[in-house]
Amino acid sequence: MAEELQSMLQLPPSGAAGGEGLTEVSPETTTPEPPSSAAVSPGTEEPAGDTKKKIDILLKAVGDTPIMKTKKWAVERTRTIQGLIDFIKKFLKLVASEQLFIYVNQSFAPSPDQEVGTLYECFGSDGKLVLHYCKSQAWG
Amino acid sequence: MEEDEFIGEKTFQHYCAEFIKHSQQIGDSWEWRPSKDCSDGYMCKIHFQIKNESVMSHPGASTHGQTCLPMEEAFELPSDDCEVIETAAASKVIKYEYHVLYSCSYQVPVLYFRASFLDGRPLTLKDIWEGVHECYKTRLLQGPWDTITQQVFNRPMGSSHLESRSRGKEILFEKEHPILGQPFFVLHPCKTNEFMAPILKNSRKINKNVNYITSWLSIVGPVVGLNLPLSYAKATSQAERNSD
Repeated sequence: MAEELQSMLQLPPSGAAGGEGLTEVSPETTTPEPPSSAAVSPGTEEPAGDTKKKIDILLKAVGDTPIMKTKKWAVERTRTIQGLIDFIKKFLKLVASEQLFIYVNQSFAPSPDQEVGTLYECFGSDGKLVLHYCKSQAWG
Repeated sequence: MEEDEFIGEKTFQHYCAEFIKHSQQIGDSWEWRPSKDCSDGYMCKIHFQIKNESVMSHPGASTHGQTCLPMEEAFELPSDDCEVIETAAASKVIKYEYHVLYSCSYQVPVLYFRASFLDGRPLTLKDIWEGVHECYKTRLLQGPWDTITQQVFNRPMGSSHLESRSRGKEILFEKEHPILGQPFFVLHPCKTNEFMAPILKNSRKINKNVNYITSWLSIVGPVVGLNLPLSYAKATSQAERNSD
C-alpha cells in the first residue's frame, strides 16, 4: 500500500507536458526536498497520456499543523480523500492516534471515499485543487 | 478555551435553518422537527439503504450433533436444503435516522442516530460498528479513550480490532434521545471543539462565513455512514455572493 501511494503522489518532473497550472510553482517543483519516505520516485517519468489522469493539488496547513515542505502534488483522479490523508500523515510522521482532516473551501470535510478528481471538478480553479489539512486530537 | 468555539442555541438553530434551506434545494430530505412546546427542536433525516449480504452456513454447525467428525466428512455431508447453501444473496433494507440536536451542557451540536430493519428490529451497536468506515475504526479505537461498550464486544468474535479496552469514556454509545425519549446511538460531543476550533479560527482570519452545522456534520457524519453531498460545501459561499 505504501509503495502504491509513493508512485501515485509524485511531483511532476520539470518540463512535464500539460502543466499549465504548474509553471508558477516551478521553483518548488523542480527542486523538491523529498522526505525520508521518498514519496517522489526519482526517474519515474509521467507519460504524456497520464497527465490528464492526474490533477494538481495544493496542500495548505491550518492551525498548528506542520507545514509540508512539498505542497504541490500531482495526484491520480481516483485517489480518495482517505488515501490522501494516509499519505499526509506518513509524510508528516503523525502517530496513528492523531487525526488529520482535509477540507475544501477551508470549511467542508469531504467524505473519506470521495475521489480527488471529483473534488477538482467541483472546487478546482486555476488548474489546481486547493485542500487545507488540519491535525486534531479529536477522538484521540 | 475561546468563546467563539461554542455556539448558543439560537445560533445553532440559525445554522440548521440555513443547512435545511440548502437541503431542500438539492432534495436531501433534512427537516426541522420542533419539540412539543416548540421551544427547541432538532434536525432530522431519514434514509433507506439496501444492504446486500451473503448468507453463509457452516456445514459443521448444522444439526448433525457429532462434533468429532473429521473435517472432510463434515464438508461432504450432502444436503439439498437451504441451510447448507454457502452463499445466498439476501437484500435487506435498513432505515437510518440521523438527528442533530443541541447540547446545552457542551454548547455544541450532537449527532444522534439509529438504524432498524423494516420490520422494526433495531440494529445493535455491533451492527452499527460494522458499518463504520475502516479509517474511523482505527481512529476511534486508539488513544486514551475507549469507544466501545464492554458488553457488546466482550464476546469472543475473533476480530482483534474489536477487542475492548475499557478505560474512560465512550465515543460511540447508546443514550436516550432528549426529546423523543427513545434509545439512540450518539457520538460523544466533548471533542467537538477540538476539531471545530481550527476551522472557525481560520474562517475568522480569512473573513469568510462558515456554516458551523455544515462543517461539523461533514466531519462527524461519515463516521456513522452519513456523507454530505459536496454541494453543501458551496452553499455558504453562494449565500455570501448573493448577499453582496
